[in-house]
Amino acid sequence: MGTPAVELQHVTKCFAKVVANRDVSLTVNTGEVVALLGENGAGKSTIMKILYGLYGMDEGTILINGQPVQIKSPADAMSRGIAMIQQHFSLVPTHTAAENIILGNVHGYIPIKKYEAKLRQIAQDYGFDVPMDRPVGQLAVGQQQKIEILKALYINTSILIMDEPTAVLTPQESDSLMRFIKSFTAKGNSVVFITHKMKEVMEVADRIVVMRSGAVVAEVRRDETDEHALAHMMIGQDIVPPVRAAAAEEEAGQEVLRFDHVSLREKGGTELLRDVSFTIRAGEIFGIAGVSGNGQDDICDVISGVKQPTEGALYFCGEEISRVSIRQRNAAGIGYVPVDRYRDAMVMDMDLAENILLKGCFDKKWVSRGFIRRRELNRYTDEIIAKHRVKATGWSDLAGGLSGGNQQKLVLGREVDVGKRLLVFNQPTRGLDMGAVDRIHHVILEEKEKKKAVLLVSTELTEIFEMCDRIAVMHSGRFMGIYRSGELTTAQIGLLMAGVSGEKEAAQ
Amino acid sequence: MRKKVNVLLYNTGAVAVGLLISACLLLFMDVNPAEVCAQTLSKIVTDKYNLGEVLVKATPLIFTSLAFAFTYKANLFNIGAQGQFLMGSIVAVSLSLALQDTVPTALLLLLVLVGSFAAGAAVGGLIGAAKAKFSANEFLVSMMSTYVVTNFMDYLLRTSLQETKAEYMQTDAISAGAYLPNILPGTRVHLGFLLAVAAAVLVWVLLSKTSLGFQIRAVGRNPFSAELGGIRASRIYIIAFLISGGLAGLAGLTEINGVQHMLLRDFNASIGSYGIGIAILANGNPIGCIFASILFGFLNIMGTTMGRLPGLSIPASIIELIEGIVMICVIISYALRGYMENRSEKQRMRKAGV
Repeated sequence: MGTPAVELQHVTKCFAKVVANRDVSLTVNTGEVVALLGENGAGKSTIMKILYGLYGMDEGTILINGQPVQIKSPADAMSRGIAMIQQHFSLVPTHTAAENIILGNVHGYIPIKKYEAKLRQIAQDYGFDVPMDRPVGQLAVGQQQKIEILKALYINTSILIMDEPTAVLTPQESDSLMRFIKSFTAKGNSVVFITHKMKEVMEVADRIVVMRSGAVVAEVRRDETDEHALAHMMIGQDIVPPVRAAAAEEEAGQEVLRFDHVSLREKGGTELLRDVSFTIRAGEIFGIAGVSGNGQDDICDVISGVKQPTEGALYFCGEEISRVSIRQRNAAGIGYVPVDRYRDAMVMDMDLAENILLKGCFDKKWVSRGFIRRRELNRYTDEIIAKHRVKATGWSDLAGGLSGGNQQKLVLGREVDVGKRLLVFNQPTRGLDMGAVDRIHHVILEEKEKKKAVLLVSTELTEIFEMCDRIAVMHSGRFMGIYRSGELTTAQIGLLMAGVSGEKEAAQ
Repeated sequence: MRKKVNVLLYNTGAVAVGLLISACLLLFMDVNPAEVCAQTLSKIVTDKYNLGEVLVKATPLIFTSLAFAFTYKANLFNIGAQGQFLMGSIVAVSLSLALQDTVPTALLLLLVLVGSFAAGAAVGGLIGAAKAKFSANEFLVSMMSTYVVTNFMDYLLRTSLQETKAEYMQTDAISAGAYLPNILPGTRVHLGFLLAVAAAVLVWVLLSKTSLGFQIRAVGRNPFSAELGGIRASRIYIIAFLISGGLAGLAGLTEINGVQHMLLRDFNASIGSYGIGIAILANGNPIGCIFASILFGFLNIMGTTMGRLPGLSIPASIIELIEGIVMICVIISYALRGYMENRSEKQRMRKAGV
């Protein structure tokens, strides 16, 4: 084996509050697919962002083809043949595919037709079918990703880094991506594939590097390992899935939430929700599966009161609440754990007690005559910290100083108390370590036992299958159908998520 | 706790460095900075009247800086404290002139207090409403509102409020019955200073101890989370601007009834802009505003005193230079402190880690 294409030696990177990478060494050989496997927050993205010049490192060296190099910016990286496709694409939605691809590499007059022809040629070589002259904002996510890949191919990339490339894809689109990776590396290029999904790793990787809390914990060849062993390395401990009481099926509780032909249109006219109807009953976990960005967030917004339906109505315990204020909804007993806690659930530079107060600043319990009852509030906050095993020294910690999992546990603790009747979880475990995921799943099941109605939005099919009594699959703002748990196979759900409707069961 | 000490240390350090740099400026005027400073300081410290003037100058600055600091907590920018102050002054002088000999002093002052607060609040409230209803840029609206109020005042000074002699653009002087009582004999320090300190304490209590203050801070730091907590950001915008405008309006009371005793053209033309600087100097902390205002009052007096030193002919405007330099130093110190804290945290992490 010759000189490795890329070699990272003893790289350490600290952010203000956390060590993101600790003494990470890693090699990528020519023509090889390296999978960087680890849970969210294990430091996979960070180490690759260092290689791509987005972050500077505190210690360590980078060798490319045996030569030590300084990579100070993505431009440096690209000139050395390294490209990275971020989790969130960096495309200009109003520009065409061709314009996006040549962006930054052209000057002065642009003979766009000539570029388009050249790009079509590259696309053809890899069997990509992408319209070059349409604004990318109108294209499907899978196509947008291909444009990102073409961007990399256009600058003659030999080392391609992909950060969770399949997170936004349907199973079918993922398959086509895997085929591309194989043909790309067959031409002597290398791919680093960041993921936390075992299945993909086993399918495409030559070598697997497992990371855990900022450090490399194992490095194995694919043919020397299996999913079970990998999972163990990744997590570092065995996780017992929460035991679900065998669904006491038909003993359905009272109706708590009902969507009655709800549609939601943006001001510009884009339809976010199309004629959505469903009912959630007390003591039931209702799951919504789907590729993210297909209207799940909008359903949560309509329930929490951030958005009002343009058509149809929603009922909470029999009363219409379509236009009721957020404050009244909170008081009525709707708890909501939003997908983006940084943006929607917490104030990072306030202390934990104040973050608890965020949902209680109109509550007589915490406010008397306009003054905050700090002592009671602090005591209650400490109770939540203890009850949900939040790793914090006490109520006076700043929310921003907690790790993601602990922040989420705090939000969860707050919301299950606010939501006396209905709990809405939007991807509650996204980006969390297994311990926190486990805890959150247990809490959700506990709340179900207390006869609360639960809505669980998730993009992780395993989570959906494990937790939910009934499952709705969403595609572009529409319900593809509502199914009982166990009725669907992964393949069927995959098709539904892609918008291919099977025998649609007009549920309820 | 350690953090608070740190803030104090950095701030005083920055002020000291700023003064030192400023002192060096005196070298350009062929004078000995050390000597001039010593002379000026001794003139201020030994003269009770001069010391009192520091507090007199600081009084309206406390109000205008509180006005800026208050909206700042809601992540809003009230650049129009000057206009709100002038509106407060207009109401203060009108009420005083109209009622001065018919109503007892205490009641009159109370009425003026309420009136000038309401006047400033009205101007501020309009800005907040424009922001809340039409999502107008509060920065621009508040800035322009000052020009509107200034011209409105000029109009009044030329018409209904003009002095009986109808000579200058100014009002009649209010009678002694409408003066804010003096609290330090031998100086011009008046009750307004205590009012300002009380206002700062009240603002601090409001912001840190009450639900409303919490809502204002929450909206300022993360409006999305606040909305989901049931807090209506648009309502908070209006309330914050109402209170902020009212605080600036109160400076009208202290300046009309406490110092100038009449309203005239170009009345205290720069206390609004100083208020912004002072609030930033205090990092938006209401109690900090008191001390930063006193510092600026002191610098102001220092400038006047320097200008009056016999045989040196130092222009009094040097003080604006000094104020500017001090402010820049403090702002730099914020960035520096952030960087240093970050770095020490990192080192601690690395030691613990490796």
